[in-house]
Amino acid sequence: MNEWIDDDDDESKVDLRLWRKLLRYTLHYRQTTITFCLVALGLAATDLCFPLITGQVVADIEEHGTSVNLAPYGWAFAGLSVAICSCIWGFISCAGKIRTHVSHDIRRDAFRQLQQLSFSFYDRRPVGWLMARLTSDCQRLANILAWGVMDLIWGVLLMTGITVVMLIYNWRLALAVLGIVPILFFVSVWFRKRILRASRLVRGANSRITAAYNESISGVRTAKVFVREQENLQDFDRLANEMERYSIRNAVLSAVYLPLVLTLSSVAIALSLAWGGYQVQLYGLAVGEVVMFMYFAQLFFQPVQDMSAWFAELQMAQASAERVLSLVEAVPDVRDTPQVARRIAETGSDGHPDRLERIEFRDVGFRYGTGPRILEDFNLSVAPGQTIALVGATGGGKSTLVNLLCRFYEPTEGRILIDGIDYRDRSLHWLQSSLGIVLQQPHLFSGTIGENIRYGKPDASQDEVEEAARLAGAHDFIADLDDAYDTEVGEDGNQLSLGQKQLVSFARAVLKRPRLLVMDEATSSIDTETERQIQQGLARVLSGRTSFVIAHRLSTIRAADLILVIDHGRIVEQGTHQQLLAQRGRYYDLYTEQSMRDIVRTDDLIGGNGESVA
Amino acid sequence: MNPTESSPTSESHRRTLWEITRGQRVRYVAAIVVMAVGTIFLLLVPYILKVTLDAIAEQRAGLRDVLIPAALAIVGCHALHGLFTYLRGRWSAQASEGIIRQLRHELFAHLERLPCSYHDTADTGDLVQRCSSDVETLRVFLSAQIVEIARVSLFLLVAIPIMLWQNLWMSALSLALFPLIITFALLFFRKVRSLFEKVDEAEARMTTTLQENLTGIRVVRAFAQQDHETRKFGGRNDEFRDLEYRLFISLANYWTFSDIIVFAQIGLVLIGGAYYVQQGAISLGTWMLFFWLLRTIIWPVRHFGRVLADAGKASVSIGRIREILAVPPESEEPRPEQPVAGDIEVRNLTFSYGRNQPALRDLSLTIREGETVALLGPPGAGKSTLVNLLVRLYDYGDDSTIRIGGRELKTINRSAVREAFGMVLQDPFLYSKTVRENVMLGHSSAADHEVEESARSADIHDNIVEFEHGYDTMVGERGVTLSGGQRQRLAIARALLKDPQFLVLDDSLSAVDTKTEARIFEALARRRGRHTTILIAHRLSSTRLADRIFVIDHGRLIQEGTHDDLIAADGPYARLWAIQGRLDEEIQHDVAQSSGSGSLS
Repeated sequence: MNEWIDDDDDESKVDLRLWRKLLRYTLHYRQTTITFCLVALGLAATDLCFPLITGQVVADIEEHGTSVNLAPYGWAFAGLSVAICSCIWGFISCAGKIRTHVSHDIRRDAFRQLQQLSFSFYDRRPVGWLMARLTSDCQRLANILAWGVMDLIWGVLLMTGITVVMLIYNWRLALAVLGIVPILFFVSVWFRKRILRASRLVRGANSRITAAYNESISGVRTAKVFVREQENLQDFDRLANEMERYSIRNAVLSAVYLPLVLTLSSVAIALSLAWGGYQVQLYGLAVGEVVMFMYFAQLFFQPVQDMSAWFAELQMAQASAERVLSLVEAVPDVRDTPQVARRIAETGSDGHPDRLERIEFRDVGFRYGTGPRILEDFNLSVAPGQTIALVGATGGGKSTLVNLLCRFYEPTEGRILIDGIDYRDRSLHWLQSSLGIVLQQPHLFSGTIGENIRYGKPDASQDEVEEAARLAGAHDFIADLDDAYDTEVGEDGNQLSLGQKQLVSFARAVLKRPRLLVMDEATSSIDTETERQIQQGLARVLSGRTSFVIAHRLSTIRAADLILVIDHGRIVEQGTHQQLLAQRGRYYDLYTEQSMRDIVRTDDLIGGNGESVA
Repeated sequence: MNPTESSPTSESHRRTLWEITRGQRVRYVAAIVVMAVGTIFLLLVPYILKVTLDAIAEQRAGLRDVLIPAALAIVGCHALHGLFTYLRGRWSAQASEGIIRQLRHELFAHLERLPCSYHDTADTGDLVQRCSSDVETLRVFLSAQIVEIARVSLFLLVAIPIMLWQNLWMSALSLALFPLIITFALLFFRKVRSLFEKVDEAEARMTTTLQENLTGIRVVRAFAQQDHETRKFGGRNDEFRDLEYRLFISLANYWTFSDIIVFAQIGLVLIGGAYYVQQGAISLGTWMLFFWLLRTIIWPVRHFGRVLADAGKASVSIGRIREILAVPPESEEPRPEQPVAGDIEVRNLTFSYGRNQPALRDLSLTIREGETVALLGPPGAGKSTLVNLLVRLYDYGDDSTIRIGGRELKTINRSAVREAFGMVLQDPFLYSKTVRENVMLGHSSAADHEVEESARSADIHDNIVEFEHGYDTMVGERGVTLSGGQRQRLAIARALLKDPQFLVLDDSLSAVDTKTEARIFEALARRRGRHTTILIAHRLSSTRLADRIFVIDHGRLIQEGTHDDLIAADGPYARLWAIQGRLDEEIQHDVAQSSGSGSLS
């Protein structure tokens, strides 16, 4: 976890609208909510009965001595105990139900939302940030909605009950005890806030320490060759000292707070005793009543503490609530238009023929948010089955072009037509399920190699999987693994090398038999030997299929039907390999400069068979 | 207690625990002493109540003279208890946090000194886990659990004598159910521990699924698998919810049953006490003393079993931390009097990582001072291994020899050797610090113009000044993300800034384009003779700079000589050169053809 995850947690005014929206998640469980309120009422009532029965038995013994029959008291106490314990069971299980189910539901909604939100949303939010929303923020909100709300209801009921009962019994004594409560509440809130803030500092320091360990372990070679051990240790000691300071401050705050609250509430107890005792003498008050008042004074203590803690937490959690709701309520930039959605709802399709052949970019322009224009007046017409290669410097707009084509983003100006129809008038799902895409950073899901290749076509047979792997040049290395296609790839595919991951992700795209294939530097980390092997497969995959290839491998580029040299969001040159070389322009420079360094790598040449020793 | 806890390892864990408290024991003892005093003050309150209530019940004359001091005494006792609790909290926090700071320091220092051979096989995630979660478990043990155990023990130690002093039978009645409460909690949390673990695992699975989905969101969209992903995450989400709910029900059962026992205990004292009052065995005040005393100590006692059960985890954590600290660090030889310099002589060097096949086999070569050499060969040939051995990242066997300036490498202090080298590793590691700090890694007193000069030599200066904060831009997640080529050039800059005796570039330009590479080579050529330079390369272009070339394959030296020598000889280098030539021809051909067709069009 990184520190920025909760860096904007400062308390702000409690915005009740947000909480009302969140409360709907609780109210969804109507039966539990009702039970919950009843249980809270029952709990407050039984809590209230204990001082009463205690006071009664003391008063009775005091007055009647040996003639008192203790059996009814015994039964009453036993009955109350059973009642309060049942209420406690109900209280915890109801709160547990709401806590687990509400956080589950918020997470579910947020996840669904994340599957629809466009990449422009993802661009502004790192994965860690999103993770924190769905994990710690959800837990935190659900905690408030379950325990917080519960403690609030119970606390209010109990405190009201105590106040009423005390006032009925003895209003003078009651007022004396109640006088302490506001002070107690104020002190509690003051401390709770500081404790929460201090513990946030501790969490931040803790994540910095974890990051430092991580860095020191991953960078151990660098530290050694630069003889940085001492300096690193000094840097780390600063963090460790900071952590120590924050932790102690946190502990000391608690060490002041609890005794202080205890002492304050002892004032109420002492008052009950002294003034109550005085009244015994003056007005013949029962000693039992004095005991009862002391008991009540003590009973006040817990709900005040709990409620002030939740009150502070509510203020701190305001930011969490805003962030989670902003996620759940966000509207995706790229989605089916209302018309398309209606057509799908009515007829089950977007109303256009299921054909993807001719692609046309017409005056397309694009910028990310309010950033500079990445693409300008881009025009391109692709005939069915053509392979288009995009070359040019990084940041020139190649990947943007591909993102627009896949409708991960939509053009800010101009239109993209598929067989003459603006693709915004088609269903997003239709387009994206017709795509096969292989990215430079291949992402694999944990599971077996076979499962990963099947990702786009879960019902594919083993034969189909192997055929796709062969075409992608992945079969040989897979067959060499102990468990072949059943080999676990590990988290993020870490058990495989980058080149192997690229091959698997290539096979994944091939298996899907997409109508439009997009490859974004998809073979950059594959050694020349393997690349040579997949050339043939690649040719078969590309033939007769419209494809866009971003590549720096000349062998791939050379075979393309149309090569676009893109720079600063414009096509600066276009044509076939031969045509472009003849122009003696940008492509010619790139080609002559690149060829030498790219083709001649010693790995293929010395030893010849590419055998390597790990 | 399960059998493993009394085994010798448990004994040594206790010893480790004892050792790490060194330096803080006085604080701990002081914390316990003030805690004891505080406890006495708190438990005096029921006695004050007793005396006062008795006085009230007897309707003594001059009651006022009793009531006001009693009220003040109650507040005073609480205040003093509060003061001592505060001191206890402060000292125990200082002690435990101090111990943990020291432990963190030792772990960090030790990890830095562990040999590469250890780090190669260790799992980073697991190590970090031990340094964070296990240390945290220990911290909770030292700062909360030990304190809580001491607190409850002191409660009992003080309360029981007070009770016995008051009345034997009432004492027996008051403590009757205590063993049951503690045992029940202990057994319950032992049993429920596996459920806690299951919940943690389910949460981890859910988080992993979420993370995979978010990092792979492009793939999900490209394959239109949103529904599949939603179902998958939904399954994990459901599983976590259900398990956690089960845990809550379990906890509800626990609290309910333990509360039943607690209330039964309170009921016993209330009703039993009433009976004793009726019998005239105790006064009303004594009855209330027992009642109040019990209600003060019973809640912490109820929690005691859980604390004991949780404290068991600390033992596991100590074991896991000890495992790291027990690994022997790199040996430390005395620092030499003269700086490390001179010719490098490698003789009969054989080396293998762990039990794998040898990475180097009987390799012998000499690199003269000031010379620039290139090591050429396919990946896995042993080139990186050789330079790793030169800076003593690994130790070679006794049959092999490496000498620098005539001195056996093994006898020279590692840091002294490494200080003489400027290494650019294959996959350079940058710290999440500023660009400047990263460049100054090996020369922390360098002036700004020196930093810039070396950045210019590495052809990275122009990139750096374009960053938002120039040299003060943060590298990594919170700042700029550098491309592979930029990272490599930054790493070259920091090696050059060190102005080392030996400069090693381990395939350091693989992600750099040809023009930049040429510029860097020019800069290096200007420094020729200033360092002994070792270039590791896959590409022929890198060998342009070298005085001599060593061709290495399968851990063996197969060719050495100047470029001209090697071209003349019949060997891999000449073959490579020939293929290069053919490719050049092919390109020329392509170009020629195109110009032909171009002139036609």
